[in-house]
Amino acid sequence: MIDSLPNWLDPTPWMEQSQSTDLHAIKNAIYSDNPGERELALMLSPTARPLLETMAQRAQTITRRHFGRTISLYTPLYLSNYCNGGCLYCGIAADRRAIRTVLNIEQLDRELDAITQAGLDEVVLLTGERMPEADTSYIREAIERASQRLNNINIEVFPMQQSEYRILAEAGCTGVTLYQETYDPIIYEQMHRWGDKRDFESRLDAPHRALEGGLRTVGLGVLLGLADPSADLISLYRHATHLLKTYWQAGVTLSFPRIKPQMGDFQALHPVDESMLAQAIFALRICLPAVPLLLSTREAEAVRNGLAGIGISKMSVASKTTVGGYSETAEESTEQFSISDERSIDDFCRMLRKKGLEPVFKNYDAIYREPVTYVRSS
Amino acid sequence: MNDTLTLKGETLQSRLLIGTGKFANIETMIAAVKASGTDLVTVALRRFNKAQAEDDLYGPLAQLEKVRLMPNTSGAMNAKEAIRAAMLGRELSKSRFIKLEIHPNPHHLLPDPIETYEAAVELAKQDFLILPYIPADPVLAKRLEDIGCAAVMPLGAAIGTGKGLSTAEMIRIIIRDAKVPVIVDAGLRAPSEAAHALEMGCEAVLVNSAIAAADNPEAMAAAFKTGVESGRAAWKAGLMPTSEAAVASSPLTSFLSRDD
Repeated sequence: MIDSLPNWLDPTPWMEQSQSTDLHAIKNAIYSDNPGERELALMLSPTARPLLETMAQRAQTITRRHFGRTISLYTPLYLSNYCNGGCLYCGIAADRRAIRTVLNIEQLDRELDAITQAGLDEVVLLTGERMPEADTSYIREAIERASQRLNNINIEVFPMQQSEYRILAEAGCTGVTLYQETYDPIIYEQMHRWGDKRDFESRLDAPHRALEGGLRTVGLGVLLGLADPSADLISLYRHATHLLKTYWQAGVTLSFPRIKPQMGDFQALHPVDESMLAQAIFALRICLPAVPLLLSTREAEAVRNGLAGIGISKMSVASKTTVGGYSETAEESTEQFSISDERSIDDFCRMLRKKGLEPVFKNYDAIYREPVTYVRSS
Repeated sequence: MNDTLTLKGETLQSRLLIGTGKFANIETMIAAVKASGTDLVTVALRRFNKAQAEDDLYGPLAQLEKVRLMPNTSGAMNAKEAIRAAMLGRELSKSRFIKLEIHPNPHHLLPDPIETYEAAVELAKQDFLILPYIPADPVLAKRLEDIGCAAVMPLGAAIGTGKGLSTAEMIRIIIRDAKVPVIVDAGLRAPSEAAHALEMGCEAVLVNSAIAAADNPEAMAAAFKTGVESGRAAWKAGLMPTSEAAVASSPLTSFLSRDD
């Protein structure tokens, strides 16, 4: 366990700005030519709340410039909800009375067929912590199967060693999503009660191992609600820019999961309301103009409608968070979190089109799938 | 007078090339392509979608009469991927044109000169009509011309930034030295900037974001058409030279024309 963050992640120097009451300085931050930690902190200040509309307009302009009038679509595919993890906030933690399932190959194929038939082309394969039921070789097989049908395969699984990431890259995986959950080491330790996930530093190093192992993209995020959101978002920004500078060819994406009530009724320690979520997304869009920002179906329809194209450039759609949810072939299982936006693909796309946004199903091609080995620049 | 653009024997009527990403929907994209008067559009191989017609950019463009398609290698990180994308693009589109773009950094999308050169060497052997998207580097431009590229396409500014002809001074050198057409690709925001590029002697421009991200893409495409035509006409008419100030009547040498 560690007591304090490494310098390159530490938000402390900017925490004073995150409480700034200087409206003029906040306005300047929104229109800064070269926004960084300072500007991000200012835009996260409670005083910036009356400027949310201004931030939204700036965020929309930047999003449109870099991503056009389009929203890329993806969908999660839960392979397994077996987990020995001790995450206090999670619906499938080992001490929850969850119904555990893992897809067998036949069921996996049916799930993939259902996703393919829906026209989707980008998938994130998910598991819990490392378990014999869903280990690296199982995930490799799932990737191989998925890559026969879809162009863009990503994973959101337990942190691995570089050699394991290599195996997955060779099977056709291009990206890994791995949230640090919180950058506050003390809260991190309280939240993760046992198991491999208690190792904060190993988790922090996993995106490096993934990129050096041959994956092309890493997705970062904090679980909003666990710790002071300003501190976590500044560290998240620093984490992203650190990776962008270290691996100049790598793709980085950011997600904005927010704590939802789960089995066990975990309450957010630092609740993040919809306005704060929007503020975070707008501020990070302004500071990272070309980084894809993702929003999942955890959020309600109205929030998703509102944020599409205004900061957010990529969205999951018609998600099932149960194992076997797409083809409804597996036995019943407990979901990791409950989804709020249950619209069908057609309904969701209709909303996007009404907003003048084109849903993009295929935005990648399998010819760009060979492992790329990044070297850590000194 | 017939003022066409020739790329290795292929003749184009319009000097405006159009990119097809970033549009709000396919109908708007098609309307913009038509309004632009272009006869060469580029489409990313990764946006070819045979599985789902609604999501496929290639199909609707292929229906257009008098518009030729140029697949592009957007998404390729290195020469090997770009070559593979070019091959597949030609197979699917039956077009010899390839817009060669290799951007190893997925965020700023600036072109990799080394990989681009390596890919161009290989593609030139395979009878492609290569239009490489490159940094505004006069030496690289000549090197690509030497190996047989049909044109060179230096960037005006980074893709999607709308910063205009930030690289104008380098582009001037490229134009001065080039034997192949110089086409500014990326960075343009306003039709006046397209006109400026043509006035400088660029043979054409390639525009995407400025049209797709405009409030009215179709009208903006038409405006770019006019800008390009106007710039070209001005270049042909011959711009007067610039000077720092009005020239006074020879105060220093007037003694040479005295009539005593």
